[in-house]
Amino acid sequence: MSATLHDFEVLACKLVAEDIWHMSIHTEVAAALQPGQFVNIHVPGDGAHILRVPLSFSNANGRNGIVDLYFATVGEGTRRLAAMAPGDRSTLVGPCGNGWKLPTEGGRALLVAGGIGLPPIVAAARMLATAGIGFDAVVGAHTATKHVEDLIDCLRTLSKDEGCDCARKVVLTTDDGTRGIAGFTTQAMEVLLAENAYACVYTCGRHAMMAGVANIAKGRGIACQVSMEAMMGCGFGACSCCNVALVSGGYALCCSDGPVFDAEEVAW
Amino acid sequence: MVSTVNMAVNLGGIQMRNPINTASGTFGNGMQFEGFYDVGTTLGAITCKGVAAEPWDGNPAPRLAELNGAAIMNSVGLQNPGVREFVERYGDYLQGLRDRGCAVICQVAGHSLREYERAMDLFEELAPFASGFEINISCPNIAAGGAAMGATPAGAAEVMRAIRPRTGRPVVVKMAPHDVAEIGRALEAEGADALSLINTIPGMAIDINTRRSRLARPTAGVSGPAIHAIAVRMVWECAQAVSIPLCGIGGVANWEDAAEMILAGATAVSVGTANLYDPTCAARVVEGLTAWATQQGVSEIGELVGAFEA
Ligand SMILES: Cc1cc2nc3c(=O)[nH]c(=O)nc-3n(C[C@H](O)[C@H](O)[C@H](O)COP(=O)(O)OP(=O)(O)OC[C@H]3O[C@@H](n4cnc5c(N)ncnc54)[C@H](O)[C@@H]3O)c2cc1C
Ligand SMILES: Cc1cc2nc3c(=O)[nH]c(=O)nc-3n(C[C@H](O)[C@H](O)[C@H](O)COP(=O)(O)O)c2cc1C
Ligand code: FES
Repeated sequence: MSATLHDFEVLACKLVAEDIWHMSIHTEVAAALQPGQFVNIHVPGDGAHILRVPLSFSNANGRNGIVDLYFATVGEGTRRLAAMAPGDRSTLVGPCGNGWKLPTEGGRALLVAGGIGLPPIVAAARMLATAGIGFDAVVGAHTATKHVEDLIDCLRTLSKDEGCDCARKVVLTTDDGTRGIAGFTTQAMEVLLAENAYACVYTCGRHAMMAGVANIAKGRGIACQVSMEAMMGCGFGACSCCNVALVSGGYALCCSDGPVFDAEEVAW
Repeated sequence: MVSTVNMAVNLGGIQMRNPINTASGTFGNGMQFEGFYDVGTTLGAITCKGVAAEPWDGNPAPRLAELNGAAIMNSVGLQNPGVREFVERYGDYLQGLRDRGCAVICQVAGHSLREYERAMDLFEELAPFASGFEINISCPNIAAGGAAMGATPAGAAEVMRAIRPRTGRPVVVKMAPHDVAEIGRALEAEGADALSLINTIPGMAIDINTRRSRLARPTAGVSGPAIHAIAVRMVWECAQAVSIPLCGIGGVANWEDAAEMILAGATAVSVGTANLYDPTCAARVVEGLTAWATQQGVSEIGELVGAFEA
C-alpha cells in the first residue's frame, strides 16, 4: 500500500517518563502498517511550524485500529503533540517506508534497542514472535522508568501470546545503573554473543549506538538490520531531504529506501 | 456548482488544463503523490526534480531544517540519477501523465555551459514525454553553475543562447530571487518561452550552542509560506518587464495564495513546499481557484492574469 492521508483520533496521551510520552491513536490505516514502518503526523494548532512529525510505533493492531506511539519531547512539534488530548483529531501520512525484514537464515535473533529506539524494536519482536522465531534482547535506557519496564514486559510476554518460546533473555542496561546492568548496550550485546549463537541482529537507537552494534555484528559475520533517522520534509520520497550515506557511494533516502537498512550498506 | 470558466492556460507553448503546476524538487517525479490523488487528471502540469547529464550525489546530511515562522531551509543540492536513468525509471509513468492530460516539464540542471548542453541534448533525444523543459539557473545549493550562472543578465543570457537551438519544445527558465526584471528581459531576448520564479531565497540557520550551521552547509535555500509575499512582489516586477508568460512560485499553500500570484501576473502557479507537509494541497488549490474564477465572473482564467490594480 502506498502512503496516503488518514484521519486519526487520540485515545490516550500519557507522560510515562521524564519527557517521554505514550500516545494511543485510532486510525483506519492500522491494519496496513508493517513493523518498522512509520507514520508522519500533522500536529494541529500552530501555523508557524509546518513540517509533520515522523514517528515509529510499537504496535499497530489491525483488529481494533489502535496504534501505540512513544515519543520524546525535543522541540515544538513533539511538545504540541504531547498536548493533544483524548478525542482530538488530526491527520497522518502512512504507511511510510519499508519495515523490518524476516531473517533469511534460520536461528535466533538478537534485538538491541537504545532509548526512544525501543518502540520499533518491540514491533520487530512482535513480527519475529508471530513467525515463531526466537530472540533475545538488550534494552538500553538512560535510567529505569516504568514505560521501559512495561515495554520489556511486553517483549517477555510476546512469546506467551504467540504460543512459542521466543524471548528467552531480555537484558536491561541503564546509564545510571538504577536497574539492570550499568553500562552500554554494546557491552551487554557482546556478553550475549559470547554465550549464544544468533543468525541476525535488529537495532534502533542513537546513531552512535547503532554504528557500534553494526560494527560488532559485522565483525562476527551476523546480518544486521538498522532503523535509521533523518530530518524529513515529506516522509514519502518527494523531496530528497532525508539522505543516508551509503558505503557504495552516494545516498539513499531514509523515508522511502528505509528507514530499515542493512547495516552493511550504511556508511557509518 | 459546476464551473463554466475555461481554466486552461498556455505557458509559453505548454498547454495546461488549469494553471496549477508543481515546483521542482517538491513533488518527486509525480508518482509519489498517486496515493493522495490522481495526478494525471487533476493538475495542469508537473515539474520534475532537476536532472543533469550525469548522476549527482547531492549534499551531505543534514539537508533540512525547520525555521520558526512557516518556513524550511534545504540544501539538497540536486541529487539526481542523470538523464538516462531518470528516463528509464520514470519515462513510462510520465508518458502516462501526458496521456491523462497533464503537462510534464522536465528540469535541466548543470554545473557549466557544457553540462547544460549535454543534459539538454540527452533530454531532447530520450524524453519524448516532456511537454517542455525548465532550465534551472538558480539552485543556491550547488558550488558551481546553478545560481552562479543565472546571477547576471549576461550569464543567464549565455545559458539561454546555448539551450535555445537544442530543442524546439517550450523552454521555461527558473529564476533566482533577485534582479528579476533585468534577468527576465535578457532571457526573453534570447528566446525563452516562459519564466518561472522564484527559487528558494539563500539563508542561514545557526545552532547557537554548537556555533555551527543547522545544516551540513553554511547557507541553504529558504522556502514555504514565509516567502510568499516576496515571491508575489517579484512576479509582479517581472510581469511588468517582460511579455512572455510567468509561472509564479513561492510559498503557495492554498488557493488564495495562487489567486494572488495570478493577479500579480502569473499565468501558471506552482505549489512547492506545501506538497511536502500537506500532500493534497495542489489538488485543493485547483478546486479553490476554479471556484474563485467562477465567483469573479470571468469566462476564462486568463482574464485574471495581471489583473492587479496598482
Ligand atoms: C522514521 C523516524 C521515526 C521516528 N520515530 C520516533 C519515535 O518513535 N519516537 C520519537 O520520540 N522520535 C522519533 N523520531 C524522531 C522525531 O521525528 C523527531 O524527534 C521530531 O520530528 C522532532 O520534532 P520537533 O518539532 O519536536 O523538534 P524540532 O524542533 O524540529 O527539533 C528538535 C531536535 O530534534 C532533531 N530532529 C528533528 N526532527 C528529527 C528527525 N526527523 N529525526 C531525528 N532528529 C530530528 C532536530 O535536529 C533538533 O535537534 C523518528 C524520526 C524518524 C525519521
Ligand atoms: C526540498 C526542496 C528541493 C528543491 N529542489 C529544487 C530543484 O531541484 N530545482 C529547482 O529549480 N528548485 C528546487 N526547489 C525550489 C522550489 O522549486 C521552489 O522554487 C521554492 O521552494 C519556492 O517555492 P515554495 O516556497 O512554494 O517551496 C526545491 C525546494 C525544496 C524545498
Ligand atoms: S523526507 Fe522527503 S524524500 Fe524523504
